[in-house]
Amino acid sequence: MKSVSELTDYYYKSLYPTLEKLEIERKNLRYRIAIIGMFYTLIFFLLFMALAGHVQMSIEFLGFFVVVYLGIGGFLYKYLTKDYTNEFKDKIIQPLVYAIDEKLTYAQDSHMPQHLFERSELFTSSPDRISGNDLVQGEIDGIKIEFSDLHVETKHRNSKGKDEWQTLFRGLFLVCEFNKNFHGKTIVLPDTAQSTFGNLIGGWLQSKNFTRGELVKMDDTEFEKEFVVYSDDQIEARYILSHSLMQRVLGFKQKSKHPLYLSFIGESIHMAIDYNKDLFEPAIFHSLLDYKVAMEYVKTLHLAVSIVEELKLNQKLWSKR
Amino acid sequence: MPISLIVLIIVVLILVLMYNSLVSKKNQVENIFAGVDTVLKKRYDLIPNLVASVSKYMEHEKSLLEEVTKLRANASKPNVDTHEKMALDAKMSSALGSIMVAVENYPELKANENVMHLQHSLNEVEEQISAARRAYNQAVTDYNNAIEMLPTNFMANAMGYTKKEVFTIVESQRQNVNVKELFK
Repeated sequence: MKSVSELTDYYYKSLYPTLEKLEIERKNLRYRIAIIGMFYTLIFFLLFMALAGHVQMSIEFLGFFVVVYLGIGGFLYKYLTKDYTNEFKDKIIQPLVYAIDEKLTYAQDSHMPQHLFERSELFTSSPDRISGNDLVQGEIDGIKIEFSDLHVETKHRNSKGKDEWQTLFRGLFLVCEFNKNFHGKTIVLPDTAQSTFGNLIGGWLQSKNFTRGELVKMDDTEFEKEFVVYSDDQIEARYILSHSLMQRVLGFKQKSKHPLYLSFIGESIHMAIDYNKDLFEPAIFHSLLDYKVAMEYVKTLHLAVSIVEELKLNQKLWSKR
Repeated sequence: MPISLIVLIIVVLILVLMYNSLVSKKNQVENIFAGVDTVLKKRYDLIPNLVASVSKYMEHEKSLLEEVTKLRANASKPNVDTHEKMALDAKMSSALGSIMVAVENYPELKANENVMHLQHSLNEVEEQISAARRAYNQAVTDYNNAIEMLPTNFMANAMGYTKKEVFTIVESQRQNVNVKELFK
């Protein structure tokens, strides 16, 4: 597997001609968006002024107007950027994925299936709507791995009786073969209770979480500070989370810099990294040649694939070979 | 009158909760020890096979092999208490460790498939044992804390609960196992 710096080199050297071409398209697109956006806003403003004389002003009316404005605007934006987005993914993201490992496949319009997300049990509410893109599948060092961008939402009824969509998770969702045999379920979540309420009360709250299995207190203070572990088997949870794996998970968390959710269920490791945004989308208002922009694509992809090496999932136990 | 009754009910309720939490902590310790026992037994089951496979070659380590066999026999005796089991486990771990080091000196053994398989099985069981020990130590720590801390310590005293001991984890086992080296 290539390193981050090798990939950055690849991005700036091999992909440079394509990037330059795309960069011109991006500038045109940005110009187009600005012009159309201005016209669109002007038309809406005039419409609003025209209506304002005839309709009685109320909060509801204003709210409705804003929603329609944003809705159509969003649709328009998506329509305008569609071709550019497709081209960017075809010509930049796909080659980057292959550059990491030739055995990986990339599908820009697919995402991880709902059943895998539900199997992971990382989030207790069941999802009502799942969308996503940029599915990467394949093998790294003989270990099956697949991940994609995922946006998971749940439906709620608000106080006015209207349906509302709420984001449950938005970020990178990954499933990978695990290198040890186990039968139970072990779930590792970011530790919010303990960091908000302190050790005593937070610890007590964690142990009273009825939607989860038994609380497992780990014997690594650093890990215990960052994460909370639930499992239906105290011994197995520690068998999975050996001292070395705990250290590696901590290292991985520090690299990703975003909340990390892990679960070990059915011979697989499931991981969700909460970026709270759509990943691998082309920059429109920043240059594609910008180092920061480039690093985001390269680093995110590399991070996902590096889980095999980082967590040493390729070192299988004898009985799993 | 009703106020004193309410106070009485609350006091009884607190006592019942304290009692129950102590009992559940004690049971948790016993429960997990049963798990420790299972994996320890798994390791003991591998020993006759190991001894049979290596004894032909290991002339100089006869005493080591005899010790391992003796330890296994002791552990298989009925009515071995927790304390003894823990002591036997510690001795067994170090004896097996020495055998594994000794195996390195015999190229024929290192190449022997049966021995290799046993070695890998032992490593796996060893990892399970380490996990079980850690789970047991945590359960014992929770139990010991409850026994020594206010207010449950009074209740524990009345119930005759005493402190339990934890497994001491050998420093070499805390270090990360280099799996790559093992699987070479």
